[in-house]
Amino acid sequence: MAAASRASLLRQTQFLASSPTRLFSSTTQPLRLLRTTPSISSRLLLAPKWSAVSRAAPFSTTSQRNLLPPGPQVIEGTVNDPAAVPKVDPLHGSYHWTFERLLSVGLIPLTIAPFAAGSVNPALDAALIFSLIVHSHMGFQSMITDYIPRHKFPTMRKAFSWLLNVATVVVAIGFYEFETNDVGVTEAIKRIWHAGENDATIGKTDLSSLGHDGKLKNLK
Amino acid sequence: MAALRTASRLVAPTRSALRSSFAARSYATVTENSAFDTSASRPPVSPSKTSTVQEPKPDKDAKIKTFHIYRWNPDEPTSKPRMQSYTLDLNKTGPMMLDALIRIKNEVDPTLTFRRSCREGICGSCAMNIDGVNTLACLCKIPTDTAKESRIYPLPHTYVVKDLVPDLTHFYKQYKSIKPFLQRDTKSPDGKEFRQSPADRKKLDGLYECILCACCSTSCPSYWWNSEEYLGPAILLQSYRWLADSRDERKAERKEALDNSMSLYRCHTILNCSRTCPKGLNPAKAIAEIKKSLSFA
Repeated sequence: MAAASRASLLRQTQFLASSPTRLFSSTTQPLRLLRTTPSISSRLLLAPKWSAVSRAAPFSTTSQRNLLPPGPQVIEGTVNDPAAVPKVDPLHGSYHWTFERLLSVGLIPLTIAPFAAGSVNPALDAALIFSLIVHSHMGFQSMITDYIPRHKFPTMRKAFSWLLNVATVVVAIGFYEFETNDVGVTEAIKRIWHAGENDATIGKTDLSSLGHDGKLKNLK
Repeated sequence: MAALRTASRLVAPTRSALRSSFAARSYATVTENSAFDTSASRPPVSPSKTSTVQEPKPDKDAKIKTFHIYRWNPDEPTSKPRMQSYTLDLNKTGPMMLDALIRIKNEVDPTLTFRRSCREGICGSCAMNIDGVNTLACLCKIPTDTAKESRIYPLPHTYVVKDLVPDLTHFYKQYKSIKPFLQRDTKSPDGKEFRQSPADRKKLDGLYECILCACCSTSCPSYWWNSEEYLGPAILLQSYRWLADSRDERKAERKEALDNSMSLYRCHTILNCSRTCPKGLNPAKAIAEIKKSLSFA
């Protein structure tokens, strides 16, 4: 027992006494080097690599993704101060969250209702579109809040928020045009769903002759 | 002189008889004609006369497993972090990852740095990312499959102090900001301790066990992107621990502190926290309870 512990001690002291580069290497590494790569080939391989690095920028097959790079660590106040508590803001906090949930829950019947009822009601259509737009606007907003933090990129945050606002307004105008000058969302989806029924190549077939995939049953 | 010594020897037995045993003390004595030479200036025995201690022979049925460990030394700030490989015989290593780390530090590489204390999952010091999962090294068994190599990193998205040691300063500052202590304005009716019914005490089960190892917080993508403002699952679980406590009287203030866009609502129920918790707790449920109490109460 004593001999074994002394052996390990000896190994450690030898280890520490050796060169500083050895200090971090494990005992296995020298062995592996001996096993796999002869020194000449490694030198040959290394030489052009170094010169290439010194002459040009590093080559990479994928684009360099440096989104949200971590900055240096900043500790506000002393180590013993508590982190700052933000101001009370239920409009962006609890009210926002509750509204988000209610909207998401409300979207389910709004989506099903026109198809279940089988009728196209412009008021129902308008309600569906309005809640869809608000729902997606809030979704994009929370993406911006997540990925463009205000304290790091204040200008970017503002720019993206306004870009989103503009996009939402454009989408809203587009939907308004579609609703007033065209058939409307529900009718459009209905038509896409039944697309091909009036197709000349399929012919004048009634629904009963169509399979579950919308194609003719006895078509080979 | 010699006569005096013999005299004292004659007296000695009587003295010990007079004194009680606990008062008796032994004194260091110097023997004049010692057979051993204890001076350090002697020349060493030549190696030909001593036995040779050899490298222990590798075992035939040794289970050699490779561990790749993240290394970074603050003393060399310009050098990049790197993965260092170590091999250990699992037959000579304890069952847990922490045993392997301690063995590497003791026997192979004393420069390897990591935090550890209790070795039984109650202090939360040895939290690290092992094979892609944030966990406590002392509660993580080494997979016995030696064909697979283990990879050990510090907790993800933390500032690294050295090797496997992350800087948790901001994490602790956030913990301090939720005031993790009982806040009361009224005294207890009988002037004794604040009592709690067993049912109320039961509400704290699954909350008080949290050891603040930061495994859950550092596994949360929302906390990765917004750790400066978002409190993270660990701190929110602790926050709920005080919201759920029947003895606390500052619930409204505690809720107000969370009622903003960043502190609480950056949680998008990703549930990495509940999946990774080495203590088997459910921070996501605690966060959901806070959200519920803020919305419908």
